[in-house]
Amino acid sequence: MIQLKHLEIGYHTNSKRNSVFKNINLNFEAVDLVGLIGNNGVGKSTLLKTITGNIAPLHGEIILNNKKLHQFSTQDLAQHISIVITEKIGGFNLTVWDVVATGRTPYINMFAKLSSDDETIINTSLEQLNISNLKHKLIDELSDGQRQKVMIAKSLAQQTPIIILDEPTAFLDYSSRHQLFLILKKICDEQHKLIIVSSHDLDLMKHYVSKTIELTEEGEVSLKVN
Amino acid sequence: MNTSKFILTTLYLTLILTGLFICDICFGSVNLFSLDSSNSLFSTILYDIRLPKTLTCLIAGSGLALCGLLMQSLFRNPLAGPYVLGVSSGASLFVAIATMLLTSIHVSGFFLLGKSVVTMFSIMGAFGVTFIILMVSKKSRSNVTILLVGLMLAQILGALQGLIEFLSSADGLKTFIIWGMGSVSNTSLSDLLFIFPIFLMTVSCAFYLIKPLNAILLNEQYAQNLGINTNLLRLQVIIITAILVGVITAFCGPIAFVGISVPIASRLFFKSSHHLHQITFCLLLGASALLFADVVCQLVSSQFMLPINTVTTLIGSPVVIYLLFKSKLSIG
Repeated sequence: MIQLKHLEIGYHTNSKRNSVFKNINLNFEAVDLVGLIGNNGVGKSTLLKTITGNIAPLHGEIILNNKKLHQFSTQDLAQHISIVITEKIGGFNLTVWDVVATGRTPYINMFAKLSSDDETIINTSLEQLNISNLKHKLIDELSDGQRQKVMIAKSLAQQTPIIILDEPTAFLDYSSRHQLFLILKKICDEQHKLIIVSSHDLDLMKHYVSKTIELTEEGEVSLKVN
Repeated sequence: MNTSKFILTTLYLTLILTGLFICDICFGSVNLFSLDSSNSLFSTILYDIRLPKTLTCLIAGSGLALCGLLMQSLFRNPLAGPYVLGVSSGASLFVAIATMLLTSIHVSGFFLLGKSVVTMFSIMGAFGVTFIILMVSKKSRSNVTILLVGLMLAQILGALQGLIEFLSSADGLKTFIIWGMGSVSNTSLSDLLFIFPIFLMTVSCAFYLIKPLNAILLNEQYAQNLGINTNLLRLQVIIITAILVGVITAFCGPIAFVGISVPIASRLFFKSSHHLHQITFCLLLGASALLFADVVCQLVSSQFMLPINTVTTLIGSPVVIYLLFKSKLSIG
């Protein structure tokens, strides 16, 4: 599904090339739950942002469905990869429904008019995460665990074969973390998606993911199959 | 908010707007009803004074409220607005420069040319400041930084404007200071023929931004992942804001608080995050707010024109403070 070939990731800051990690070669299958681990600052987020197309690779290439990633239009890419990130959202009267509805952005017209099909998809996504009862609540009124469920529901509404989550368990307590991984496992199995999730919860993750990719301080990529 | 509620609220707001529109035409130093409609004074007052002033309120109020909404959504910051972030100051400074240049080279014969030059300058000033703010927002994600830079810019531009005023002639100075207090009564019907198409065009452009604006309310990274070209959206918002603020400031002076307070009030009153709703409400509410301010101006003193900025600030800011305290919910 996705291949990373001789990938070098990093940033351009003030026209200076800032390499974070070099020579990443990985293959992801179409249906899998993959964990990404590594110490803070080693480049997990940078790697995930590169895969989602938020930042360009410094070298090498990413191939998605036999096509180079940079050849996808933003609209097209939005129908292939969805994200859940650590940064909290809220305010501006945003309700749970509103946020999950943004998942339909790549499919709707510019006036953001939802069809009845769109509404069905949004409702189904809410049901799959058991948060239909929160539909009309403001995001600001939710707990951290509920917020992450909303963001995952948004990803489901986006109907992408790939979901990428950057430290979704960061603000969560122990039982919510368990619950979150359980949900991811269920989505992966039932909806046949590729889910890549970065986390620091090594012990917890072992129970759920099929593979663990570690970015080491020495600059090596190690792959463990559970 | 569902569709039927949206339509109902829109009708309701339109009704209020119409009421205020009629009030604003009726109130003034001369009682229109005491005059015979065949009287030439009647048509002079109606067509040369009242109607242009009322229409100017409508355009300036809704235009500034729309700019405020666009900026608040783009920065995801309820404290953003054309006046607060210095966009109006940028337009003002450039109007000052243009006015001084024009008076010094005596082109008063080309009156319309003069006005369009001033408007062009005003748009350039507004564009410049919006552009700087956007550059800052790309460098720093902190909302506080953006606000502080905006406030500092407004100070710098104000100081430069002071310098120009200091160097200008007494006549130019007087015109300029009165203009600076904000006024909706300096536009004629022929000016409106120039302003209205620009207003209509920019406002319709805003309706094409509904989808990207909805998505950017999450945050920039989510918006990009949803297929939104955020750089394009930024550019579109600067252009719309610069044109609207530029044109309005050129004709009415820097009008305070409508831009920031109307979108806040609109979000507090009407619980929706959808931009089809918020754009519509802000346009109607903004126009109503400025018409209301103008009616108050007339009621307080029919003998002399109270500067509209005094009223918008005196009414606008306490209303915002009250609403903020009353509402437990975050609006930004």
